[in-house]
Amino acid sequence: MVREFKLPDVGEGVAEGELVSWLVEEGEEVSEDQPVAEVETDKALVEVPSPVNGTVREILAEEGEMVPVGNVIITFNVEGEEAEETESQAEQASEPEGVDEPDEAEGGVDETEEVSTSEGRVFAPPRVRKLAREEGVDLSSVQGSGPGGRITEGDVQAAAEGDSSEPADAETAEAAPAEPTEDTGGADAAAGTAGGAAGTAAPSSVESADREKTLAAPATRQLAKEQGIDIDAVPTTEERDGEAFVTPEAVTEYAEAQQRAQEADVAAAATGETGPRETREPFKGVRKTIADAMQRSKYTAPHVTHHDEVDVTKLVETREDLKPVAEEQGIRLTYMPFIMKAVIAALKEYPEMNAMIDDENEEIVHRNYYNIGVAAATDAGLMVPVVDDADHKGMLQLSSEMNELVQKARERTISPDELRGSTFTITNIGGIGGEYATPILNYPEAGILAVGEIKRKPRVVTDADGNESIEPRSVMTLSLSFDHRLIDGAEGAAFTNKVMEYLENPELLLLE
Amino acid sequence: MVVGDIATGTDVLVIGAGPAGYVAAIRAGQLDLDVTLVEKEAYGGTCLNHGCIPSKALITASGLAHEAGNAEEMGIHADPAVDLSQMVNWKDGVVDQLTSGVEKLCKANGVNLLEGTARFADENTARISHGGEGQGSESVEFEHAIVATGSSPIEIPNFAYEDEPVLNSRQALALDSVPDSLVVVGAGYIGMELAGVFAKLGTDVTVIEMLEDVLPGYEADLARPVKKHAKELGIEFHFGYSASEWHEEDDGIRVVAEPAAAADGGSEASGDAASTEAELAEEPLELDAEKVLVAVGRAPVSDTLDLESAGVETDERGFIPTDDRARTNVEHIFAIGDVAGEPMLAHKGSMEGQVAAEVIAGEPSAIDYQAMPAAVFTEPEIGTVGLTQSEAEEMGFETAVGKFPFQASGRALTTGHSDGFVKIVADADAGFILGAQIVGPEASELIAELGLAIELGATLEDVAATIHAHPTLAESVMEAAENALGHAIHTLNR
Repeated sequence: MVREFKLPDVGEGVAEGELVSWLVEEGEEVSEDQPVAEVETDKALVEVPSPVNGTVREILAEEGEMVPVGNVIITFNVEGEEAEETESQAEQASEPEGVDEPDEAEGGVDETEEVSTSEGRVFAPPRVRKLAREEGVDLSSVQGSGPGGRITEGDVQAAAEGDSSEPADAETAEAAPAEPTEDTGGADAAAGTAGGAAGTAAPSSVESADREKTLAAPATRQLAKEQGIDIDAVPTTEERDGEAFVTPEAVTEYAEAQQRAQEADVAAAATGETGPRETREPFKGVRKTIADAMQRSKYTAPHVTHHDEVDVTKLVETREDLKPVAEEQGIRLTYMPFIMKAVIAALKEYPEMNAMIDDENEEIVHRNYYNIGVAAATDAGLMVPVVDDADHKGMLQLSSEMNELVQKARERTISPDELRGSTFTITNIGGIGGEYATPILNYPEAGILAVGEIKRKPRVVTDADGNESIEPRSVMTLSLSFDHRLIDGAEGAAFTNKVMEYLENPELLLLE
Repeated sequence: MVVGDIATGTDVLVIGAGPAGYVAAIRAGQLDLDVTLVEKEAYGGTCLNHGCIPSKALITASGLAHEAGNAEEMGIHADPAVDLSQMVNWKDGVVDQLTSGVEKLCKANGVNLLEGTARFADENTARISHGGEGQGSESVEFEHAIVATGSSPIEIPNFAYEDEPVLNSRQALALDSVPDSLVVVGAGYIGMELAGVFAKLGTDVTVIEMLEDVLPGYEADLARPVKKHAKELGIEFHFGYSASEWHEEDDGIRVVAEPAAAADGGSEASGDAASTEAELAEEPLELDAEKVLVAVGRAPVSDTLDLESAGVETDERGFIPTDDRARTNVEHIFAIGDVAGEPMLAHKGSMEGQVAAEVIAGEPSAIDYQAMPAAVFTEPEIGTVGLTQSEAEEMGFETAVGKFPFQASGRALTTGHSDGFVKIVADADAGFILGAQIVGPEASELIAELGLAIELGATLEDVAATIHAHPTLAESVMEAAENALGHAIHTLNR
């Protein structure tokens, strides 16, 4: 029997998802729960599992397509329907001598990878295969321009630059950015190009033929001569009497391609560039979601950012003391749990900062729980994993939970639920560099705190007798953005001061 | 974690230091990973210690003895005396040199070496038990593991390798005296190679094989010169029999073999000599000998690892299924070499080892070969790579086949070994070389050129137009390519 499979709701309340890649092909055997596709929702990349044991009958959605939840994306033949027993393995029960079966030559003929027809075989040397893997080019979709259709490095480069072949596998898919396309056309052109015939390859990648002998009409030879073209270099697929045959059209096309290539080389030399001057890619997926959220936040809540810096010399010492203790429990102790604890203490004192405006119902929502979001930069863009009820958790628990969530966000295995429900957000801008920022609120939250890198700076220090001296101290910058509709400037500053108080004197956290 | 246990951490734990494992470890070391290599017995695994290398040493030595005593035609009259224990000592010296080389290479590449037996405790921890009483054990926590535990000789019912007259290939390679007579069970490549060694050293050898011919899995025209030469050495064959038991006699042992025709896959009456022989095998066979060598294949070593603790699956034969990145069903655990499936060949394991290490290091590596060569060190040797003619035709190719007999090779005649031929299979349409089969002198070396040709996508014309030095055996490859193109010089073009 045939089983239709609809795109399930892969995350609470998600209406549609982008079908990023198929992990199976039509005709392939699948087992229940085996991942068949990767779907990207607005928050995460999710694997969709097969609901049955059986074979893939038909794939009904293209890679890159936005699919509404509930649409049929794939159909299966459920196992048990077809019973085809082939090949009585006569030697199966014999004492296995096949230790060196020479017929394994095909790189695993029994695997699905090699198509079992002569057309399915790809002729390309190992270095070209490696390049294809690096570039995420599927060799079976590349037309080879070498002798007899052998694939060259140039063919792979052309396919990588001129087409968006899908990355060969999920692994490279994660690392490779979306393949830019030169024209704004569909991003799923299938085959690679070669010999300039399809016209989408970069013109400089026209592969010349290199023949000893070419058949052509005298007029064609004359045309080649006029164009300054070596007739033995003109690529052709036509043959007469087993010899390559070149038409006037082929000469013209090759001459034009050569011309374009020369122009491109001149332009590249002039600009110092070697690649295309401009590329375009679809604005969608996680990037688009982040953009929408930023825009909504910035244009809904009037932002004010309050800046200050705090002497965290004691905090640095405290963390140094506690780090080995945490390590014994297998936990990497960073500054973030201290900052979270300081923020929670300040939020309790200034509850407006933990509140939010419900614009739709025109209400202010006071929240008596403290879910702290920690912004993390990932390959897929900015994500904010949330530590729920952070006020009920100890330093080490905060540390390990947060490390785990950030790791999951980076690996894109985080569930949509783990990215929702924060009441206040902290973002660490110190990892890469810079001092201050103007962070954008994680709307509808009322506040977001950006912390900078801890640096050694000269500071005026006053001792108990009132004597001043300049000392090197550890200093951290703070940038607090808040929703000015809800929070006044004075309150923002007072909240920041409270956070600073705890960071300057970490022993106060013991009372929390 | 056991109380009082020492735990160390490593990026990559490699289990087994055979040609798959040690290559993986060295490559991972080159890629700046922290690598720990665990070996329970000897660096180099079966290949260096009990397989490829020692067998080739004895094949060369026994061949030399045999040649020296059989070269009257060339005007050489000699009766070489063989001291097997000294021959084995020499072989052991070769093995020691290679295994200590492996150890040095590992250390030079920053690989941490551990001696012991590894078992998985969970998917990120392995326990290493050190050999011997009171040697203790330790835990290793790993980010990635590579299983490279290899394979071991298959035992058949009633023939236990711990019984003194029953030998597996490893024990046969360590004998210190030449047995007067030997029954070899199995005419696969291991059985045929060792049958040749002992026959050349003066042993009366009888081979029993349950199938109909020698070297099952190879084409009949490749096996034919091997069987012919074996018979010339005095080796007797009984096809269609499987060994059922043995017992002590006054002056040796008696091996009993039952007709295998009744067994699964018994011979279909195809009317050729071998099957007639098999069909006549109705009565049990009794063979007297000093020793019996069982060589019926090898099985993966996967049951000593507690794989289930790590969640790693095996198939019904005990092999660990992997993908084209050498990954098992557990994302961070890899399997390479014999334990990861057939063909069980050292060079296949080494290649998989490199791929596994590179994948762990984040490189876009994959098991992506076009052709896997195989070599059999019988006399004459066999070398194969890529597709046979029938395989290519099954895949939909129209084939062009070229053949060159060594009888027509000047160099082959001057070596005194001119049995066999070079055969090249190509795509008739574009001329791409798809496979090659060689039986004859130095076939194991000659096949390399055709492996390279296949990987590079070379055509018949490319090989035919490449100048080969004269007089060499390698010219035969060029001649076979020319023959496929219909313009061979030294043979008649059909």
